[in-house]
Amino acid sequence: MLDSLLAAAAYLAQGVNLGYLALGVAVGIVFGSIPGLGGATAIALLLPLTFGMEPEQAIILMGGIMGAVSIGGSVSAILLNTPGTAPNAATCIDGYPLTRQGKAGLAIGAAATASSVGGILSLAILVMVLPVARTIVLWFGPPAFFMLAVLGLTSLTVASSNLLRGLIAACIGLFFGFVGYDDIGGTDRYTLGIDFLWDGISIVPLLIGLFAIAEMMNLYRAGGPISQSDDGATVRVVGTVDGIKAVFANPRTLASGSVIGAVIGMVPGVGGTVASFLSYSFAAQTSKNNENFGAGDVRGVIAPEAANNAKDGGALIPTLAFGIPGSAEMAIFLGVLILHGIDPGPMLLIERESTIFMLILALLFATIISGTLILVAARHLARIAHIDSLVLIPCVITVSLVGAYALHNAVGDVFVAAFFGVLGFLMIRLEYPRITLVIAFVLSSLMERNFIQSMIMFEGNWLRFFGDTTTLVLFFLTLFALSIPLLKFMRTRRAAQ
Amino acid sequence: MSLGPLRLRCLILLTLALVACAPAADEATLDNATVSIVIPYRPGGGFDRTVRAFAPYFAKQLGDGVTVLPENVPGAGGRRGAATVYRARPDGKTLGIFNMPGFVPPEILGEKVDYDLRELSWIGRLESQDYVLLISATSELQDLQGVRAAAELAFLSTGYGSSVLAASQIVAGQLGLSDREPIYLAGYAGTADYLVGLIRGDGNVALGPVSTSLKYIESGDLRPLAVTGDGSSLPGVPTFTELGYPDLAALDLQRSIAGPPGMDAQLLVTLREAFLRAVADPEFIKTARNARLDLSPLDGAATAAEVAQSFTYYAAFKTNLTNPNAL
Repeated sequence: MLDSLLAAAAYLAQGVNLGYLALGVAVGIVFGSIPGLGGATAIALLLPLTFGMEPEQAIILMGGIMGAVSIGGSVSAILLNTPGTAPNAATCIDGYPLTRQGKAGLAIGAAATASSVGGILSLAILVMVLPVARTIVLWFGPPAFFMLAVLGLTSLTVASSNLLRGLIAACIGLFFGFVGYDDIGGTDRYTLGIDFLWDGISIVPLLIGLFAIAEMMNLYRAGGPISQSDDGATVRVVGTVDGIKAVFANPRTLASGSVIGAVIGMVPGVGGTVASFLSYSFAAQTSKNNENFGAGDVRGVIAPEAANNAKDGGALIPTLAFGIPGSAEMAIFLGVLILHGIDPGPMLLIERESTIFMLILALLFATIISGTLILVAARHLARIAHIDSLVLIPCVITVSLVGAYALHNAVGDVFVAAFFGVLGFLMIRLEYPRITLVIAFVLSSLMERNFIQSMIMFEGNWLRFFGDTTTLVLFFLTLFALSIPLLKFMRTRRAAQ
Repeated sequence: MSLGPLRLRCLILLTLALVACAPAADEATLDNATVSIVIPYRPGGGFDRTVRAFAPYFAKQLGDGVTVLPENVPGAGGRRGAATVYRARPDGKTLGIFNMPGFVPPEILGEKVDYDLRELSWIGRLESQDYVLLISATSELQDLQGVRAAAELAFLSTGYGSSVLAASQIVAGQLGLSDREPIYLAGYAGTADYLVGLIRGDGNVALGPVSTSLKYIESGDLRPLAVTGDGSSLPGVPTFTELGYPDLAALDLQRSIAGPPGMDAQLLVTLREAFLRAVADPEFIKTARNARLDLSPLDGAATAAEVAQSFTYYAAFKTNLTNPNAL
């Protein structure tokens, strides 16, 4: 194992290979920070470039992109309330309020540091877990997937500050998640006879609408720059270094975020969005003095950012061990591997150990390099928050709508973004949680498909859900999540007495 | 700075934003040839991989200055991409890769589709692969006889409308299992997903494309029982024909390239000849081998005939092909 690791490190240290890594990191940061583009698009675009490369060089380039994308995405989430990639959406909840208070430097510092450390921790977890990766992937059949979706939905709805509004937002998210062709039952639902809606609503234009466009509409109404702090000096004073310190001052948040990210990343098809939201809600529920979550608590930035870089280490497990992509980026990365004659599957872990270490090292260095770059640039980036909204709004909306179109070259996605822009604006005005809508949307198809598959497996007998250990564990975790508000209520009442 | 002009500028920029989102108009000139190959699925899958590997070699054979651009047009289970090619101008600049025979059953079952596969201008077949009937290595079943005698059978596959589910239904029908009402656990996201489901024990039998299944067979997780095709593509594994089910020999998966109907005869010849030269290019063959493509080239005329045959073949099994999980 050590030989493979050293061989991989020596290969990566060659000048030309470091160049590929740097190129990957640069592309990753840019594509990550522009909503709608994201890592999957970057990998697909650079794929033809890799034809003439050694397979290992292609892996280094792609590793650079994957390691940098989510750090790039966190910058636009914090500064503009516009997640660059879907997993960055949870970072908006506390990152953007910090920007409005003139503490963008603090938030970016914390995000870049938490991302880097989370990424490193998850790679450590990956190295430890690789030998038992098979077993873990085999734990998750349709019944366990269904229960995992229920757990995700429950913990997020419970985390809403207003339970009723949280439930309504979740229902709206589920409704939009069910739009499209149901390929088990063979029926199309709510497609209004439009071909475009057959594959359902894509998450990226939905996020662009709910966050970027809605936020710009709200900013237009309010006027002025994003930062409500009049003192331009605040950006320098409450700076990046405090953000870095904040991460290490909250080791519990950092560790729980990384572990949640790595574990959820291992479950194929669930992806980083769920990982970062779960990590956020776990931190918001279990931290001490948590009344400031949602209004600009730096721990609300640390938790999701640690998780969304940590998920990459986890997502490599199903991708490498079985050829099942854990996320959109992994799906295209899988294509790159196969094009270069590396066939992910049960044999890969045994036959090409050094190739895997190469990827792990590329991801590791990409995370560190991109985190450092963002930290260095943070002070300048934070100035965006001081630009007048009337200059900022057209720029952000242009990039957002072009991003929505660029995703699938479909004009329909532009309309989807515009529709959710208006819906998001109404939700801001009426104080409904947009995040709960997003998570319900993401989980809806996972939950439905696996429920139907389970019921087909169980021949209609739903009691058989409880015959499987993984499902049972997830069921008790769901019960626990449900009991948290009750326990809190009892504790407050006891304290009052 | 006054707010008035800024507000105006804001609106002007917003208008520009909307204009930027409008799709670019078609190039009118034939000389400046950028040929798109429409992939009716999202990036990352097998069809995407095939086109991206093939595009540069096809461009080389089409002449200097010609660019071949893979273009993903996903939607409606591939139907949106297929309709895009069908409706395009037959000027040779829009071609597409087709999932055959996956696109055939919806047409046979009378579902509304915006294309007719038999009218397309077929340029050639790139890939073809047989199916293998698989069980888990830990399964109590031993052979095809065991499968036929099993008390409960659950076939794993991708969703309704996929080639694999249709093929599973045809296999079940031919093995005489239809009246035993096997379970069709459909809806998995991809081939690897349901094969891992088979290893896990979600169901007890599945039909897999040979090349994707091979790694699970080699790792000892899955056991092959029989293969489709005329000769066995897996050494030591009997064909369905050898086991007494010759009608199953024709079940396979093809990836073929076509252009819109009504293409000029000379243009079609040019495209077909470039296709044949590209698939014979030793460099492409090397790339294809590395990328694990199941290269099995066929010229345009033979591909058109194969498509027509698929219609006859699947029409004979029409009663087997209804959705087993319809609500």
